[in-house]
Amino acid sequence: MRRGLVAAALIIGTALGGVSAPAVLGDAPACAAATGPHAGLVVVTSGGTSTFCVVLDATEVSGLHLIELAHDQDGLSYSFGFGGQAVCQLDGVGPSGGDCFADYPDFWGYWHGDGSGGWTWASTGAGSARIGDGDLDGWVWGTGDTPATHDAPPTLGIDDVCTPSPSPDPSSKPPASHHRSGGGPAPTSSSAAPSPSSVSSTTDPTASPSAHRDPHPSRSTHPTPTPSGSRSASASSQSMVLVAGAVTTPPSSGGPPVGLLLAGVLGVALVAGALLRRRSHAASNAGPGP
Amino acid sequence: MTDRARPPIHPVAWIAWVSAASLTSLSTTDPVYLLLLWATAWFVYQAQRIPGPMARSFRMFFAAGVITVVLRTALVLFTPVGSRDVLFALLEGLRLGTLLVLFGTFNAVTDPFGLVRLAPKHFHEPALATALALSITPRTVASVGKVREAQRLRGLSTGGLRSLPALVVPVLERGIEEAGTLAESMDARGHGRGPRTRYRPERWSTASLAVVGAAAVGAAAFVATAVTARVPLHPATDPLALSSPDPLLLGAIALLALPGLMPGGADR
Repeated sequence: MRRGLVAAALIIGTALGGVSAPAVLGDAPACAAATGPHAGLVVVTSGGTSTFCVVLDATEVSGLHLIELAHDQDGLSYSFGFGGQAVCQLDGVGPSGGDCFADYPDFWGYWHGDGSGGWTWASTGAGSARIGDGDLDGWVWGTGDTPATHDAPPTLGIDDVCTPSPSPDPSSKPPASHHRSGGGPAPTSSSAAPSPSSVSSTTDPTASPSAHRDPHPSRSTHPTPTPSGSRSASASSQSMVLVAGAVTTPPSSGGPPVGLLLAGVLGVALVAGALLRRRSHAASNAGPGP
Repeated sequence: MTDRARPPIHPVAWIAWVSAASLTSLSTTDPVYLLLLWATAWFVYQAQRIPGPMARSFRMFFAAGVITVVLRTALVLFTPVGSRDVLFALLEGLRLGTLLVLFGTFNAVTDPFGLVRLAPKHFHEPALATALALSITPRTVASVGKVREAQRLRGLSTGGLRSLPALVVPVLERGIEEAGTLAESMDARGHGRGPRTRYRPERWSTASLAVVGAAAVGAAAFVATAVTARVPLHPATDPLALSSPDPLLLGAIALLALPGLMPGGADR
């Protein structure tokens, strides 16, 4: 019986933990006083492209923390939403407040650079992406729910962003280039895309990538998110999946009220059925019992 | 009145049903779907509940679900938030509450000790412990009723908040005493010793298979929608923008309500 009580206590404890854990979100990478590892951050808006060479404070940081470091080191302004797990505003562009889709169809598209000019549409959110030494993150403000329709950052390698000199120019503005294609239908988002994304390295005719590329030995071990993998199932924590799912689908505007009508009908049917059954229970209890 | 020729829905079918329904509710925070799931849970409960003390546990889990929604929304107010975060927390709480209500239905439509009989040999003791833990809720409710009645007979006031502390000790005492008595009686009957016998096995009826199949299809529809992001499953919260419910997903919820259409679970 004692075991039964322990089991009950465990169940209740887990339930309470489930209730309160999402309220205590947090991403805390270890902060070592390292000056070695650095990563690149590219922010593309209609006003131009800003690149940041960010010194990492740990071997690996999340995409969100990379933005925070860029803010600390280079003054990049940012604003997170959805409980601090999604990118709403960068460099003053984007919605303020907690809903990163307030300006839909515009939103921040999240890309990972392969270091030599190619870009891959991120398949996980910035909170669960791991950025290590020599990695490149790109954020592009625009329309387009898929990597095919959303603009990619210009062709920049890690060496374009992080020049050999110790203090790189934080706001270098190479010629902006965007080919705005028409916005597509609903779902993938800026900071989380559980839907499988395809590799698309857009070639930029105006900017030319640098010829040499430093092979970083740490890069091979860095787990870059692969486009075919659906990492939604193995996302870091339950709360991340909740938020990632929340950001995934911007509100669909319009649509016939058929769905709402059907939902109403179903709801009424269920409630009526339950009440009918309850009455038949009462009637059968009043009648000749079993 | 009771049709003894038709076997009730197999307990394992109920486990499959509640797992599928929980998976469905975990995949979305759309309040329309979640509230429909609450209605489904109530509908299935009313149709399939086993008469007896266990049926009372549904109300407790329903209350727990409502409390979860309130708590989750209130907890987020401790952090610096805006209305959109409160809405988000409300939807998350609604999702957790759905899980509780579904579990309440499961608790009320299955006999936990019947489930224990089905557990594989090595899981027998944990299954027994779980079954006993599950039966705590209705037994506690019955205890409260008896203690209240005794207090009333002694002329003590039983209404209002001030009578609550006087309720706690007797109920706990009864609970522990009952637990001890139960353990003794089970031990005296040789529980947990010697080989287990297979007596009166539960049969898999067409109804059970139908329940499992329908629940699996319903859950698969939601999971597929979540993975492919075909239709929004999570409404935006600033401002609250509810998308039109998808007919396919509504059909999936209707499939989950199938056990409610089956003949009742009073065959015990």
